[in-house]
Amino acid sequence: MFILATLDRLNELADKKQKLELGGGQAAIDKQHASNKLTARERMALLFDEGSFVEIDAFVETRVIDFDMQKKKAPGDGVVTGYGTVEKRLVYAVAQDFTFIGGALGEMHAKKITKVMDMAVKMGAPFISMNDSGGARIQEGLDSLCGYGEIFYRNTKASGVIPQISVIMGPCAGGAVYSPAITDFVFMVDKTSYMCITGAEVIKAVTGESVTTEGLGGSEVHNSTTGVAHFRFAEEKACIDGIKRLLSFLPDNNLSGAPVYECTDNLNRLEEELDSIIPDGPNKPYDMMNIIEKLVDSGDFLEIQKEFARNIIIGFGRFNGKTVGIVANQPSVMAGVLDFNSSDKAARFVRFCDAFNIPIVSLTDVPGYLPGVAQEHNGVIRHGAKLLYAFSEATVPKINVILRKAYGGAYIAMNSKHLGADMVFAWPTAEIAVMGAEGAANIIFRKEIAASADPIVARAEKIDLYRTKFSNPYVAASKGYVDDIIEPSSTRVRIISSLEMLSGKRDVVPSRKHGNIPL
Amino acid sequence: MKKFVVTVNGSKYEVDVEEIKDGAVVSTPVTQTVTSEQPKVTAPQKSAAKVDTAVPTSAQTIKSPMPGTILKINVNSGDAVKKGQTLLILEAMKMENEIAAPSDGIVASINVSQGVSVNTGDVLVSLK
Repeated sequence: MFILATLDRLNELADKKQKLELGGGQAAIDKQHASNKLTARERMALLFDEGSFVEIDAFVETRVIDFDMQKKKAPGDGVVTGYGTVEKRLVYAVAQDFTFIGGALGEMHAKKITKVMDMAVKMGAPFISMNDSGGARIQEGLDSLCGYGEIFYRNTKASGVIPQISVIMGPCAGGAVYSPAITDFVFMVDKTSYMCITGAEVIKAVTGESVTTEGLGGSEVHNSTTGVAHFRFAEEKACIDGIKRLLSFLPDNNLSGAPVYECTDNLNRLEEELDSIIPDGPNKPYDMMNIIEKLVDSGDFLEIQKEFARNIIIGFGRFNGKTVGIVANQPSVMAGVLDFNSSDKAARFVRFCDAFNIPIVSLTDVPGYLPGVAQEHNGVIRHGAKLLYAFSEATVPKINVILRKAYGGAYIAMNSKHLGADMVFAWPTAEIAVMGAEGAANIIFRKEIAASADPIVARAEKIDLYRTKFSNPYVAASKGYVDDIIEPSSTRVRIISSLEMLSGKRDVVPSRKHGNIPL
Repeated sequence: MKKFVVTVNGSKYEVDVEEIKDGAVVSTPVTQTVTSEQPKVTAPQKSAAKVDTAVPTSAQTIKSPMPGTILKINVNSGDAVKKGQTLLILEAMKMENEIAAPSDGIVASINVSQGVSVNTGDVLVSLK
């Protein structure tokens, strides 16, 4: 009868919805939990503000009829997609459902993802992709590859338009890794996640090398050795909280600004401790993090890629409530030198900030580039050039504070006036020179030292002479390469004042498709 | 005839070695020539001599992050150390680089000595 039929249909819907919640079934869910992993829906629930998640395409199913797919198929096709709010801001997300045939990617699975990506770009909101998948669905053959290709294409098209965050919460192998690789930030979870192009077994078969999956592409490897990942967490909830923290610093898209938070930290705060934080001996290290924490609002600094290329620090902080990207040499690690890894790390970060209109503040204490055949053969020339390119290309407000050493090419590379830095400050302890006193004196005064009666004393004298004349900020300031020499305690005030002044900056860029950054 | 430079107890010897195949005795004898490259005992031992005591298995090795010279060693074998504690000071890029313990542990071996030059990746210390 008419009324009953409608009621039946409503019941049918309720039934189907209930089944959807179970993904690949309760048994598969239990297995997921047993491996210390959450399900796709649980992850969405943790990410989004309560009740805000709207699922799209829950009823999408595979169209493949080969290889038993019609028996195995289920609505949702192994991925949960949709949108919601994260701390009241619109965010789009997809989470692969490992409980359904291992979250393997097939044609419709990929279509669900690309639909959400397209919406994220159209609506100008961040896109988060939670990866937990065994890889391509072999049964779907080339359609799986097509699916991946469509995703990578969109990651690229969206790059610099909306922030894209990848979260690896399970396997992410083969071609699948290229989506996270293109996105802006990659989060990994310890022990349960891994990324690699070819797995350990295939490597063993082809090259004979023995390695565990964790040792090949686990969270530690990608956070400390390869530089592929940016964050890692011991467990999933903390990871998702980490994503929210990152999002709080980021704009929704490249045309909106980052959210401005009320600044409860005094804008005119003088940090007396900074006046004496640089050690007396020029060869003594100190921890740059202490300085960063004293400068940013409320000491709140989110470090990125903390374990990779530790000789340079990158991350987000706020000045006067507004997000700022910070790049700083770390003198307590490898003397704070620049090398191929740190150049890559900093250059990508600078370009992200530039793409999303986030001002950049750099803190310089760099003795040069790391010498060595390994560096040269690994292309320190090509990689080092990236940092120079990135700073030169950036049209966001750029502020540099030279704390101590700034020698040679490394001085140029670290956001110098010559690369377009808007305001360059120097502390009285700054030594801005072509090279350190010892090296320079040896070259300039070589003849005098060789000709003198006591070369050792003569060399020491010439080193002192050079140091007095050149190892200071006054020479650079006399040429206008440094805009002002400041008391360290006033650094925060000067940075905030400069950022205010620079907030309306418009830089003229010649029309071109895009430059050719050395890669 | 293949030439090798063999270092025995710090002294270098240039030797010519002939491979003997299938047990057959070869006519040309192995010659041994002492070159003038014997380092003086008093000269400071830079790159040649490294105190390379074996690293115990299952010990965590701490490697040099860059080429430099060992300025000071702050610990002895068997000492208990805390995470972040400075184990030794490596002079590199004209800076005193503090090499810190990555975690709590006991010093299992010290593989360098003061004044020795190291390269990137050389084992400095190991912890258990």
